[in-house]
Amino acid sequence: MRRSLSRLLAAAAVLMGGSAAQAGQKLGDYLPQRAPEVVYAKVCGYCHGRNIGPILLGRKLPVDMITLVARQGRNGMPAFRPTEVTPAEMAALAKWISTAAPRAEEKGK
Amino acid sequence: MSDFELNRRGLIGAGLIGATMVGLAACDKATLAPGVSKADFAGAIKAMRGVVGDEWVFGDPEAVTPWKKNYIPDPEGRHVPVGAVAPKTVEEVQEIVRIANKYRQPIWPVSTGKNMGYGMATPATPGQIVLDLKRMNRILDVDPELGTALVEPGVTYQQLKDYLEENNIPLWIDVPTVGPIASPVGNTLERGVGYTPYGEHFTFQCGMEVVLPDGQVMRTGMGSIKGTTAWQAFKWGYGPYVDGLFTQSNFGIVTKMGMWLMPKPPVYKPFMIRHDDMADVPKIIEAMRPLRVSSLVANCNLMMSASYQLAMFKRRNEIVPDGRPLDDASVKKAAKANGLGMWNTYFALYGTEQTVAAIEPIIRAQLTASGGEVMTAAEMEGNPWFHHHATLMQGGLNLDEIGLLRWRGAGGGLAWFAPVAAAKGKEAEAQTKLARGILDKHGFDYTAAYAIGWRDLHHIIALLYDKSDREQEKKADACYRELVSTFGENGWASYRTGVNSMALVAEQYGQVNRDFNKLLKNAIDPNGVIAPGKSGIV
Ligand SMILES: Cc1cc2nc3c(=O)[nH]c(=O)nc-3n(C[C@H](O)[C@H](O)[C@H](O)COP(=O)(O)OP(=O)(O)OC[C@H]3O[C@@H](n4cnc5c(N)ncnc54)[C@H](O)[C@@H]3O)c2cc1C
Repeated sequence: MRRSLSRLLAAAAVLMGGSAAQAGQKLGDYLPQRAPEVVYAKVCGYCHGRNIGPILLGRKLPVDMITLVARQGRNGMPAFRPTEVTPAEMAALAKWISTAAPRAEEKGK
Repeated sequence: MSDFELNRRGLIGAGLIGATMVGLAACDKATLAPGVSKADFAGAIKAMRGVVGDEWVFGDPEAVTPWKKNYIPDPEGRHVPVGAVAPKTVEEVQEIVRIANKYRQPIWPVSTGKNMGYGMATPATPGQIVLDLKRMNRILDVDPELGTALVEPGVTYQQLKDYLEENNIPLWIDVPTVGPIASPVGNTLERGVGYTPYGEHFTFQCGMEVVLPDGQVMRTGMGSIKGTTAWQAFKWGYGPYVDGLFTQSNFGIVTKMGMWLMPKPPVYKPFMIRHDDMADVPKIIEAMRPLRVSSLVANCNLMMSASYQLAMFKRRNEIVPDGRPLDDASVKKAAKANGLGMWNTYFALYGTEQTVAAIEPIIRAQLTASGGEVMTAAEMEGNPWFHHHATLMQGGLNLDEIGLLRWRGAGGGLAWFAPVAAAKGKEAEAQTKLARGILDKHGFDYTAAYAIGWRDLHHIIALLYDKSDREQEKKADACYRELVSTFGENGWASYRTGVNSMALVAEQYGQVNRDFNKLLKNAIDPNGVIAPGKSGIV
């Protein structure tokens, strides 16, 4: 029992440490590379899935198409430059969006 | 096919190939700045690569695509950058400025480059290289006791808010409507506004670090005093106050900026006042002014027309069929069905239980007497418009208003026209009438709001058009110019304008003023390499 509890705590610590490292920015440090779900939540997800932009998740959209549209913008969508979403972040993000499951709470077409 | 049916909501319109072609067509128009030869440009690009590395210099037309996007009408293709360079440190900025001087290559600084509806990251004149400061994204200091912060240009409002929340610091930020992707530095340098009591952003700015056009670094206010602890505490320093010179200008590149942050109040209570007629404009302004001047209402109010509100979450053809003018009766019907009035004025009370309870009856009496219905969360629960404004007025983040961009057709066209007036009912009434007449004539809608400041009005008119339609883009351009000129003839000019109209608006601010700016420009930046054309200063 005690062993499983400590294992659980250790796992929780890893999880928390992991997510803090992904999202957190320390005073005086540059923004660390963000995981795809973080970029999605803090950039894309304000419009896509909230009735402003089309739903992206769960549609198996091609990676190249996601990257192209994000980088040049389309109609009402602004373009996202490599300085905003770094090349490494974009590569991971496009792959993640392409394979992500749909989210029931997302609205829009 | 279904996976490609992204265009159903209009944001991703015409298909991949079409968009790529548009991008390439725009590239063809990218021309070098006057007096800059191909060899100069190539030399500048090469030297910049030496400073920031190959991967952060974008010198060919395709690589520059992400910096070309904008919403404004640009039928002549004048606002197309020829390159982009993205430094990470102040020293790199200094080096780039020296290179720009050497090759006479103009550079256009942006912080986060999301100046949406004013030109985004695109420059005022052809041939400029965008100096993209987004990679300089460090939050350098937050003082929880003083309620101050010092940030680099690339820090977004999202980053700052995340930092405060992750560290349990009970300070608020104040955001323009598009906070997640925009920045305190970029917005403040444009003298932009937000909607908490700290909404007049330049008022709450404190201390700057600036790279001057000769490459030197200057700190303003107390910042150049060795060992100072007051850089973010005392705005004025000693001698002439110069911070204003670096806003809406091209006299330097701001690499750090201090700002004040509002302590989270114990009680926050948002309100919405509904008025039922377009003609209620003067009544609302007359009722709000004394509340604002006395600071009983301390935040910048948004008085939103029903059409602006509907355009956020609806498509135009849900209200009237395509090709028909947007008539008041149809708007009113749609507004009513969505819990909105023809004018919807949002403000909030901030304080303690006692102070809010003491002020609320005074405000209610005043606004009810103006014919308004006073609504709070109790009545508006679940209303997306109320929710949007209640979020904004506590410095919360969303991008709901990007929905405006798909109001018409495939969308993607927006130019803000933002004339100033004194906060007087009669002035607002006259401005609304004038704007509606011009917009009607050109076939565009009056999707507008008044931001009610301390004693002024920013009349925020969203000129919405379909940018995928070349003819509409031309019409929007003509309409915008007529708005600027005709308002000018009536003694009203913009508080800020897009890259498409900087010289036009500068014309209205007087020859002596223009000469003074020119005198400064020639003295500070004799080679004219920093953002030529910004605010009409060349
Ligand atoms: C739907 C919608 C709603 C909006 N609502 C608001 C609102 O409520 N309030 C508001 O103010 N705006 C609003 N905007 C306009 C705009 O998007 C914001 O003002 C935004 O903050 C500006 O972009 P930015 O912060 O990325 O600044 P940037 O684009 O980085 O900068 C703007 C300009 O400032 C100058 N500049 C920037 N950084 C520097 C620097 N470091 N040194 C020297 N000069 C510099 C440059 O000329 C640059 O072009 C809205 C736009 C849209 C589309």
